Amino acid sequence: MLAELGLAALTLALAGALYAIVACLYSARTGEGRWLQSGRNAALLTCPALLLATAALVVALLTEQYQLSYVYEVTDPGTPPLYRFTALWGAQRGSLLFWSLLMSCFICGAIGLNWRSERRLMPFCIPIMMASLAFFLCLSLFIENPFERWWILVDAPVEQQVVSSALIPPRAVPPTEANLQAGAEGMNPLLRHFGMVIHPPMLYLGFVGFTIPFAFALAALASGDLSNSWIRATRRWTLVAWLFLSLGLILGGRWAYDVLGWGGYWGWDPVENAAFLPWLVGTAFIHSVMIQEKRGMLKLWNMLLVIAAFSAVMFGTFATRSGVIDSVHSFARSEVGFPMLAFWAAMTLLALALLAWRWRGGALRDERQFASLLSRESLFVLNNVIFIALFVAIFWGSFGLPITSELFLGKEVTIGAQTFEFYVVPLFVAMYILMGVAPLAAWGGMTVARLGGMLRIPLLLTGLGVLGLAISGTDLLVAALGYGVVMFAAIVALCEIIRGVAARRRTLGEDPLRAFVALFGRNQRRYGGYMVHLGVTVIGIGVIGSTLFQTEVQHTLDRGETVAIQDYALQYEDFVRAQAVDGRLMHIASLVVLRHGDEVARIRPRIDEYPQLPMSIAGAHSTLENDFYVLLIRGDRQRATFRIYINPLVNLVWWGGLLLILGTAIAAYPKGWR
Amino acid sequence: MSQAGWEKPKHPLKRKRSQRVQFITAGVVILVSLLYLLVSGTLQGARYFITVAEVLDDPAHRGRTLRVSGAVDGESIDYDSENAVIRFEIVHIPGQYDDLAQALHDALADDNAPRMKIIVEDAAIPDLLQHEAQAILTGALERDGIFHATELLLKCPSRFEESSPPEALGQIPEHN
Repeated sequence: MLAELGLAALTLALAGALYAIVACLYSARTGEGRWLQSGRNAALLTCPALLLATAALVVALLTEQYQLSYVYEVTDPGTPPLYRFTALWGAQRGSLLFWSLLMSCFICGAIGLNWRSERRLMPFCIPIMMASLAFFLCLSLFIENPFERWWILVDAPVEQQVVSSALIPPRAVPPTEANLQAGAEGMNPLLRHFGMVIHPPMLYLGFVGFTIPFAFALAALASGDLSNSWIRATRRWTLVAWLFLSLGLILGGRWAYDVLGWGGYWGWDPVENAAFLPWLVGTAFIHSVMIQEKRGMLKLWNMLLVIAAFSAVMFGTFATRSGVIDSVHSFARSEVGFPMLAFWAAMTLLALALLAWRWRGGALRDERQFASLLSRESLFVLNNVIFIALFVAIFWGSFGLPITSELFLGKEVTIGAQTFEFYVVPLFVAMYILMGVAPLAAWGGMTVARLGGMLRIPLLLTGLGVLGLAISGTDLLVAALGYGVVMFAAIVALCEIIRGVAARRRTLGEDPLRAFVALFGRNQRRYGGYMVHLGVTVIGIGVIGSTLFQTEVQHTLDRGETVAIQDYALQYEDFVRAQAVDGRLMHIASLVVLRHGDEVARIRPRIDEYPQLPMSIAGAHSTLENDFYVLLIRGDRQRATFRIYINPLVNLVWWGGLLLILGTAIAAYPKGWR
Repeated sequence: MSQAGWEKPKHPLKRKRSQRVQFITAGVVILVSLLYLLVSGTLQGARYFITVAEVLDDPAHRGRTLRVSGAVDGESIDYDSENAVIRFEIVHIPGQYDDLAQALHDALADDNAPRMKIIVEDAAIPDLLQHEAQAILTGALERDGIFHATELLLKCPSRFEESSPPEALGQIPEHN
């Protein structure tokens, strides 16, 4: 029953999407408003239809309907209820359905909120959004159907007797409940983590969110309405998508840190990089769009960035879901690879063809020219160059080099994490410097002396900060320089906020807190942006500290023995074996963490033995200063081996992420909240 | 003072031309720097991704830093936890395959497939180091005939591949 309901709802959603495309394009041709309204209604119908389909699958997961082969593959009778729910996005088929649901929610939001203000763009905007949705619905219906069920073909030879099919085959019977329960495979242990509960939905929201700006940009190109209207309509949607993508990336890092057990959070894995690429292009767009709004410049460039962001999303989706790329983050090998590649190429080519057509017609000419190298707009362009250079370098290392070497040399050539760091470190340094200088530059241009005057205080404070670090014992020159560059960007953002508060106090006599709140309320984008900058600088400090000063040692301890590591000490206290409710066997070590001789924490690193593989779960004592992170390698009651990491400042990565999210939310929040 | 260079020139055409030169110069400098970064980084860090048979057959590969892939033989895994040293063997898998899980399984079932000893020093034993996992190693085959790896990546396809129809389900219900 649930399978039939889900299939019917999926089919209805696909029908709605296809009808919306036809009706809206017909209205674009004839100008008949009733067809546009009819198309809009069909587009809006996709959301409840997909909600119904998703609800059917969730109910099947929660009520253990193992005849559905998806439920059979991702859960078993021992799976706890929370992970039964998150199993919705635990494997390809369910996550594709969930992806379509999120996309249709975004689309309904965009139609609902922009229907009146951007009605001229809707005859093209709706078909583009619906085409993207219809593509994913086709994948769900025809290639990766989550509502397929196990059937036994009574007349078939034994080895071909069991089939997975959405429709009931002739002369077929369902397997017995006992066989289904006994064979159910259970969730991949790597996904049994709280990070996996929220990381994929956030990442998907970020990915699908970029469909909206892309659709508005293409609608502007197709309709010829290339005023700033599409920019207004999409700026906030881009920020929302960027916010979720940032959150997805940060949570992904946290999951890797907690689950993969190597003491790090970013490994330059191709799938991680594929998710980072649209973030880089989106960041470039968020900056350059300001220049189009304020100065009427970079029209062609902004179009290119929106197209590139969507294209990067589609490529990243292909990289993750096709299974062609070896990664711990990727899904199993799947037949969706080729259709995804074809869809990615088709949408990108269509967008570029439309862009070339309008550009040749002269509709994308800038209203002004760059007046000076030392202007805010020039520095923003430089900022864009940095982000695109990061994009090119990371794309080249992850995909370009392996693919081209395979094509031209007949051998795959790859690079490792060190080379990625070689590429990106100078570019990130340049980004932080620009983050400090650009907000102080004036639109149109300014003199070197004037800019120098504005930079005097931030540079002085940065110098004092670096001096403080040197006095406190930071003897590594690279680290001091790194901290200095990041601090400079942070100080500029802080100075700008303080200056704004002081100006309000001076002119309006407000108290500091009121002035601070009003400042963010009056100019959300500007001050939300500064908060994002602060978040990025806090992340930067965390990355420098945890990368350059990480300590990693391994010790085997007898029970009761203590080992000293820097100013910490670790005492091996006890070891137990226990069976969890879901059946896994846990080997748990109890350790006491001491600092300067005082007990600061008791931690319990453990190894969980699942039928599929063992999982090392770290025990950690976390402070803002560092993480004392311990993995149990092996052991028994008498003796155990531990891998111990001290990761300085690593928690600033997560706190900085939080600031970044908060700043983006302020910048994206609808006006008038004050 | 440097300010003089930024004063407004008297002739607007001259000013425009000088600005264009500045922009072009800045663009060229940025482009050349980026190209240098990419090319030099790639030349230093690029590694051939090759098979076990290729490493063993070609003496030119000895001592060179390479990236090699093979199937992990679970029985050969030995971890010296006192010294944090992992030792194991990998078996040759072809460069091209349709189904990684099958390729790994077939490789380990073939007694004549080329094998290579691996040593990884100062490393925690990864959870994914299991029988029939795919190991991707960066390192060099040294004179002792052992591949000394500095980086070890693992993929367990049998855990991540979609399952084929389970035959155990095929017992036809009694009431039918």
